[in-house]
Amino acid sequence: MPAKLVVDRLSHHYPDEYTGEDVHALDQVSLSVEDGEFSAVVGPSGCGKTTLLNILAGLLPHTEGSVQVDGKEVQGPGPDRGVVFQEHAILPWRTVARNIGHGLEIQGIPKSEREQKVQEFIDLVGLSGFEERYPHELSGGMKQRCALARTLCANPVVMLMDEPFAAVDAQTRITLQEELNRIAIATRKTILFITHNVDEAAFLGDRCFIFSRRPGKLKATVKIDVPREKRIWKDLLSEKAYTDPRDEILRLVREEVFDDEE
Amino acid sequence: MTRSSEAAPVRKPQSRQWRRFVRGGGVELVLLILGILFLWSVISQNIPNPSRYLPSPVSVVLSSYDVIWKGLLPNYIGQTLWRLVIGSVIGLLLGIPFGIALGLNRTVSDMFYPIMNFFQSISGIAILPIIVVWWGNSEKTVFVVILYTCFFPIAFNVLTGVRSTPMILVNALRTLGASRIRIVKDVLIPSAMPHIATGARLGIGYAWRAVIAGEMLAGRRGLGWMIFTAQDADLTAQVILGMVMIGVIWIMIDRFALRPIEADTIQRWGLVQR
Ligand SMILES: Nc1ncnc2c1ncn2[C@@H]1O[C@H](COP(=O)(O)OP(=O)(O)OP(=O)(O)O)[C@@H](O)[C@H]1O
Ligand SMILES: [Mg+2]
Repeated sequence: MPAKLVVDRLSHHYPDEYTGEDVHALDQVSLSVEDGEFSAVVGPSGCGKTTLLNILAGLLPHTEGSVQVDGKEVQGPGPDRGVVFQEHAILPWRTVARNIGHGLEIQGIPKSEREQKVQEFIDLVGLSGFEERYPHELSGGMKQRCALARTLCANPVVMLMDEPFAAVDAQTRITLQEELNRIAIATRKTILFITHNVDEAAFLGDRCFIFSRRPGKLKATVKIDVPREKRIWKDLLSEKAYTDPRDEILRLVREEVFDDEE
Repeated sequence: MTRSSEAAPVRKPQSRQWRRFVRGGGVELVLLILGILFLWSVISQNIPNPSRYLPSPVSVVLSSYDVIWKGLLPNYIGQTLWRLVIGSVIGLLLGIPFGIALGLNRTVSDMFYPIMNFFQSISGIAILPIIVVWWGNSEKTVFVVILYTCFFPIAFNVLTGVRSTPMILVNALRTLGASRIRIVKDVLIPSAMPHIATGARLGIGYAWRAVIAGEMLAGRRGLGWMIFTAQDADLTAQVILGMVMIGVIWIMIDRFALRPIEADTIQRWGLVQR
């Protein structure tokens, strides 16, 4: 079976209107994500992770190299690729339920069917009882859950997530990571998850792609062989199958960061 | 025992309303108004010829008794309000879609932005003379001025609102597969709502001033006309009555028509803090 998501020799340059020089953000990146695989992307700040995600989402057109989802070249955004942004991008003027059902509404799913689906995902992300609340009445972690449920509910082929838990506190983040793992088990989605947090990458990823400093190149790939069901923080911290790849990722990332400081 | 528990619910709503009135600064406001009226009376009693220069509040009320009794004041107010309502409804119907349409395309909106800013700064009173040259002292002139006055602030504010929509919200909808029309409906318009409300409030507020000015210069009816003719006839009390009516009516329009719209949408969504 061919991979769900294939990136082949993708490069990207941002034109700089003031200096006339290009910013070289991505350099010849090739990677692929299998069906149902959870992939994590780590790399130093400014190495082009968000650029990669925006290209995959179709929000940023690409000119060099190719990007395919389900064998089709990406041309513009589409509901086959769901995105969870770093800052929760839910609409302040819609209630939790109406935000989560927005994707289905766009797809023209009838109301009764939609409501049933929405309830399912509200329960899945633990927002029961908050259906009729507006986003400003939610905590940061709850907003991010709402954004996650909105993306999941639209039933995309792949999920693209850009540091979705970066803005929440450490305690909430741990809960959200375990919840996302549970959701990954329940939905078997293909996921590309960007983070700068090495623990998070190793906890969530089946495979982790490590990027070099800008221009971002794929530097290494590390496999994490821990069954999803066993991924619970309190059990994992002493598990070699988790700590070994995590230390390896940390070493690879630090090389990039320390080089930077010289 | 039973008697007191029956009596309590009857009294409660009244006292709660009273408490809310007190907490909202109602008592201070009433005292302030009484103070102003007192000061006004004192001044009016200590100047020569007050009925020409500054009639006392009491004589203003007496003069209003006269016009109300003749049925003139309600008639004038009705005509002025009617013009305002028609003018601002048309202004809203034209200004809101125009502002949104301009905001959709960055190049178009960059081009029109300074032009809209230019026109929204020229008040209705400033264009009145040229409109009179074109259409004379007619009903049409009054309407054109109202329409002009509310259209530009509305369209300009709506344009600003659409332009300031966070890109991330638009992108989020695009990744959900939303069409352009849906993005306009679900993101751009609600996101521009605070600006639309501001535009409407400003636009209708300016139109309220313009309609009075228009009636003075080109009308044959209405509050502005009443003030103008009263001044001609040396009826200063009626002039002041007209002025007070202008202020009081505006406060009622704002309180009962414009502010509820804001409370039902923008505040409910948490877009402004109160
Ligand atoms: N719209 C843009 N125009 C010009 N340069 C840009 C633009 N967006 C990003 N860049 C540049 O491209 C490089 C990669 O940016 P990108 O946002 O992809 O980094 P990142 O890996 O997501 O970083 P972080 O971890 O800090 O989010 C950076 O040097 C940035 O300055
Ligand atoms: Mg980024």
